[in-house]
Amino acid sequence: MRYVTRILAAICAFAAAIVAIGPIVWAVSTSVKRNNEIFAVPPKLIPSSATLDHYGRLIAEGVHWSFVNSAIYSIIAVSSAVALGTLAGYAFVRFEFRMKNALLHLFMAAMAIPSYALLLPTQILFVELGLFNTPAALPILYAAHVIPFAVWMTRAHFASVPIELEHAAAVDGYTRFEAVWRVVLPGAKPALIAAAAFGFLYAWNDYITSTTMIDSPELRTLPVALIFFQGFHGRDWGALMAGAVIATIPPVVLFLAFRRYLIGGFSEGSVKG
Amino acid sequence: MVQTAQSVVFEGVAKRFGAVTAVERVDLDVKPGQFVTLLGPSGCGKSTTLNMIAGLEWPTEGRILIGGRDVTHLPPSERDIAMVFQSYALYPHLSVFENIAFPLRARRRRTAEPELRERVRQAASALGLTPLLDRLPREISGGQRQRVALGRAMVRIPTVYLLDEPLSNLDQQLRVQMRSELKDIHQRLGATMIYVTHDQGEAMTLSDTIVVMSGGRVEQLGSPRDLYDRPANVFVARFLGEPGMNLFEGKVSGGVLRGDGVAMPTVLGEGRAAIAGVRPEDLIAADPARAPIKGVIRTVEFLGSRTLLRVDVGGAVIAAFVPLGVPFAAREAIGLAPSAADKVRWFAADTGMAL
Repeated sequence: MRYVTRILAAICAFAAAIVAIGPIVWAVSTSVKRNNEIFAVPPKLIPSSATLDHYGRLIAEGVHWSFVNSAIYSIIAVSSAVALGTLAGYAFVRFEFRMKNALLHLFMAAMAIPSYALLLPTQILFVELGLFNTPAALPILYAAHVIPFAVWMTRAHFASVPIELEHAAAVDGYTRFEAVWRVVLPGAKPALIAAAAFGFLYAWNDYITSTTMIDSPELRTLPVALIFFQGFHGRDWGALMAGAVIATIPPVVLFLAFRRYLIGGFSEGSVKG
Repeated sequence: MVQTAQSVVFEGVAKRFGAVTAVERVDLDVKPGQFVTLLGPSGCGKSTTLNMIAGLEWPTEGRILIGGRDVTHLPPSERDIAMVFQSYALYPHLSVFENIAFPLRARRRRTAEPELRERVRQAASALGLTPLLDRLPREISGGQRQRVALGRAMVRIPTVYLLDEPLSNLDQQLRVQMRSELKDIHQRLGATMIYVTHDQGEAMTLSDTIVVMSGGRVEQLGSPRDLYDRPANVFVARFLGEPGMNLFEGKVSGGVLRGDGVAMPTVLGEGRAAIAGVRPEDLIAADPARAPIKGVIRTVEFLGSRTLLRVDVGGAVIAAFVPLGVPFAAREAIGLAPSAADKVRWFAADTGMAL
């Protein structure tokens, strides 16, 4: 009986893996196929001769600059959101102030509102503020989206740290900031990395905010730049897939580098939150 | 390492949290090198008092001086004190070595690496922690964690050691062992130590001076012997001793304090309402017909070296230690008397203060 259960479980896991990895494998394969092979019937997974033409075309079209834009926007947004979210998360746990609960609920409510519902009002606001179509627009909006999540994750961690640890550090000769930095934050690594990863994925994958707030080609993000390969006269699948492959690399690298913390961080948030 | 033991002085220190008074105008003078224990039940204000010395809380009123310096509003980091917490508060991500070294790495007393290593090594070897220096706190036992917390306090030269119920998380055997070690450390270092506990056994064995607190007030301050023999009020009388002092309330008439089941000779004035206090070990069995205290035995507890009787006297239960040889049984009538007249302590019935 147990043996049968294990075989069934293995089959299910294998099927799930195919569903998850299949499209990625297909995208990689398509990105190195020549155009005449992309639509070949029957379809071929392994091309008869590989080519990097599609990648070359991306560079010729300046898509690498969109990659750089996406990276800069995401990194600025994530680092500022995690820094601010951590400070706020700490304040929510350790300080008493007026409207504390109302503010906390506001943060949580902000997570529940779909960002596209706010796009138009935000666009009008950004035009008024002179932020529309500027390099600052996207980092600000991405950070605003990620901060509530960062607050949520770090707050759960700080609440689990006994105040005595900070007291001990204070008695040992450290200022409050030093105590938090050296005693409380090291344990928060999984929560911080999980918040950063969530924020990065959000910012990196965003399409709709980017198309609404950015007009100029030189400020474009990668997802927006790739859409232009859908063209008016037919889709350039090779270039699209090459772009998709490139777009997938940073999140995958990040996940592999931090997977130990990510799994810990997500379970921390889910259990203690 | 030369310890620079300092005095700690409280001048009318009070602490309020909104409408709640945690500590009420306390005056205290701890001499350099003394071992002083703040003793009292939960919520009596002893931990708040300790936290105010540490600077973790600031008094609402009054001044605190350490070594003559006014530290009332200085942050903990500038008071040069060491503190051992009830939960030990070890840094979970740091090894035993780094936990002990932590105070020496603070910017204000940054220590050169060779000296730091030497001092950690000394503290660790004094506490038998040398083989554990590379372990994390979660990988060592409760008793060992307690030692690491002590090591972190000993590694520098603080003006005062503050210990907040440091033994309460240990099992009985380890607690007794660590108690002697603490006493030994105090004698070796000659440091000023202020200790908080609700365990009177610890307070009695460790302290030069005990400060008994209740409801945020200092009830009495003195040597353990003093407090035990001459409690200043009924609270201290009842709180100290296991079990505490027996109290008999009554009114004086004809040179005798008369109450329920009690007729105790006294020199107090006629008509005065008073309380007579007698320690359980100062009561002896007497002829039930003529004994000043008459009651019915409720339970007989065999303690090894002697027997503890719980006796119903006029509705109240009192305790008496009796020698093993005499057979007593529950529900038997018994007469009790103080072993000597000077073993009775008198208190005013209205104020509860000693007369």
